Amino acid sequence: MRLYAFCVYVFLYTPIAIIALFSFSAGRSASQLEGFSVKWYGRAVNNPFVMDALGNSIFVAFVSATLASILGTLMAVGLQGIRGPVRAFFDALIYIAVMIPGIVIGIATLIALVTVFDVVNPWVASFWADAAAAPKLSMGMGSLIAAHTMFTLALVVIIVRARLSSLEAALSEASADLYATPFGTFRQITLPLIAPAILAGFLLSFTFSFDDFIIAFFVAGSETTLPIYIFSSIRRGITPEVNAIGTMVMVASLILLIIAQLILRGGAKPKR
Amino acid sequence: MLKSNLDMGNEAYTERAVASASIAELNDVSKLFGTVQAVSDMNLRIAQGEFLSFLGPSGCGKTTALRMLAGFETPTTGKVLIDGRDVSTLEPYKRPVNMVFQSYALFPHLTVGRNIAYGLKQRRPKIDSKSIDDKVTHALETVRLSGFENRRIWEMSGGQQQRVALARAIVNEPKLLLLDEPLAALDRKLRKEMQIELQDLQRDLGITFVLVTHDQEEALSLSDRICVMRAGRIVQTGTPQDLYDQPNSRYVADFVGTSNFFDGLVNQINGSTGSISLRGGRIYKSHLSGAISVGNDACLSVRPEQIRLHLSGTPETLEGKVLNRIFLGEHTEYLISQESLGNITVLAPRQSDEGLSNLGTGDTVYMDWSADAALILPKD
Repeated sequence: MRLYAFCVYVFLYTPIAIIALFSFSAGRSASQLEGFSVKWYGRAVNNPFVMDALGNSIFVAFVSATLASILGTLMAVGLQGIRGPVRAFFDALIYIAVMIPGIVIGIATLIALVTVFDVVNPWVASFWADAAAAPKLSMGMGSLIAAHTMFTLALVVIIVRARLSSLEAALSEASADLYATPFGTFRQITLPLIAPAILAGFLLSFTFSFDDFIIAFFVAGSETTLPIYIFSSIRRGITPEVNAIGTMVMVASLILLIIAQLILRGGAKPKR
Repeated sequence: MLKSNLDMGNEAYTERAVASASIAELNDVSKLFGTVQAVSDMNLRIAQGEFLSFLGPSGCGKTTALRMLAGFETPTTGKVLIDGRDVSTLEPYKRPVNMVFQSYALFPHLTVGRNIAYGLKQRRPKIDSKSIDDKVTHALETVRLSGFENRRIWEMSGGQQQRVALARAIVNEPKLLLLDEPLAALDRKLRKEMQIELQDLQRDLGITFVLVTHDQEEALSLSDRICVMRAGRIVQTGTPQDLYDQPNSRYVADFVGTSNFFDGLVNQINGSTGSISLRGGRIYKSHLSGAISVGNDACLSVRPEQIRLHLSGTPETLEGKVLNRIFLGEHTEYLISQESLGNITVLAPRQSDEGLSNLGTGDTVYMDWSADAALILPKD
């Protein structure tokens, strides 16, 4: 069994290790190691297209993670008071939302948005004097942020709710007993105690959004995020530059995930 | 106001309760959880400044009753009055009561000082921070934790956390302080200390305390009045001494202190006394307590310390064999087997008689008690 587990790990991590290794290659080919250099990192950082895509990715990830954290927290808190079959129904919906493949979400969001735009755009234009100058809704940053928010919302709900249910019910009761209004209790007791979970949810959402290619591919319209840029540059031929970008993205994602884990673990039990 | 008959068998207390104003009342209160009747037709008046305990096993409705006073539960039927005002459906944060939780429920992200100040900071109009600080300092002094303002909750021991919870409640000067098994989590020695502190605190502050406990010793030693509950109903309310000396049922006699119960048939009633014939044919005359009529199944209750031991028998004494003997210092507890009445517990004071102090397992012994020391109780 140990040998088997070892093989699985080798199988999983070898390609990733090779990408990281080849990103330091001095040669032009992405699949051959010729000497050591960090020049591809420099090339990647100085490429305006890469930087533009990176900026888009960070912006989308930040906004959608923020929205998902706020909406997801509100949802988790709202669900907390509900019991019985209604609760079971929403629980099932949330877990399904996490399990649905990205490609389904991508296609579904695309079709839904296009349908909505087709209805809304002519309607808005009908109010405009010059129909051609009327604002038009189309695929782009907005739709991308919306899709990512929806996708990561469920993650935040699950993380925040786990923390909420580990909180002692007596704490809210004690707060109410000490004259705090329900909102006062939320602001002064519940929110500070679930803050680590919200932050962890934010970081996870950020990572998911930042790494996502499939959904972005469908709904980003003309916008380019980093994963989309990498995909399109591969079609022009792989250079070690792609390896370098991939390695940087991977390291940044790992760091965020580890921070999220540390926050969650530290928040669960105060040190004694 | 007087129609609720809450003090059974104690005229003196009734007068006292009426003389002082009642701070809280439960009027025909019932609480249903789904189809489970947690509290049924509960009537109780809590007098200003008293220390009242709800005593009963878990699931008897005592905590539900307390939570209805706090506002965490609303009565299904009936009314809860605090300070003459109907608060039956009032939210907890609008009630002038404070609670000490069994788990303490201290806020882990706030310091000791800010935990205690929490209630004061919610008040509108706002209390200025100088007087909040003064009150917090004073509350910490009261619970003997001066200088602990900036400690973290998890840096405090169980007993200290208990005191912080107490300070957090009393700093608000509530009309009613509710205590939900507050000492249950403490070890025995600390519990004894805290019991004394609670009693002192109640006397000094003059705040009405309502305690929920399943520990009869705690209820007996702390309370001015105990309300014994069973299956959502009040069985008997009275001073600790009333409950011990004049229990109205076998349940109360068994829950408050310990007692020997001998089943029998009531064959004569004469005012407040009667006679009961026990298994084995003996007839005992004794005082009656609770609802009993001739021909009823009943039981004779005799406290272990009321039974006298003799080395030689007379026609009036019961013969038995010593099964077990536990030396307790001032007293010795004997478990004695009696042919027709079963096992009897006897708590005998230290004997000057050589023969009695040398009683051992298997020895024959003779028992009796004075008629005044026993009670005929309804069998339930």
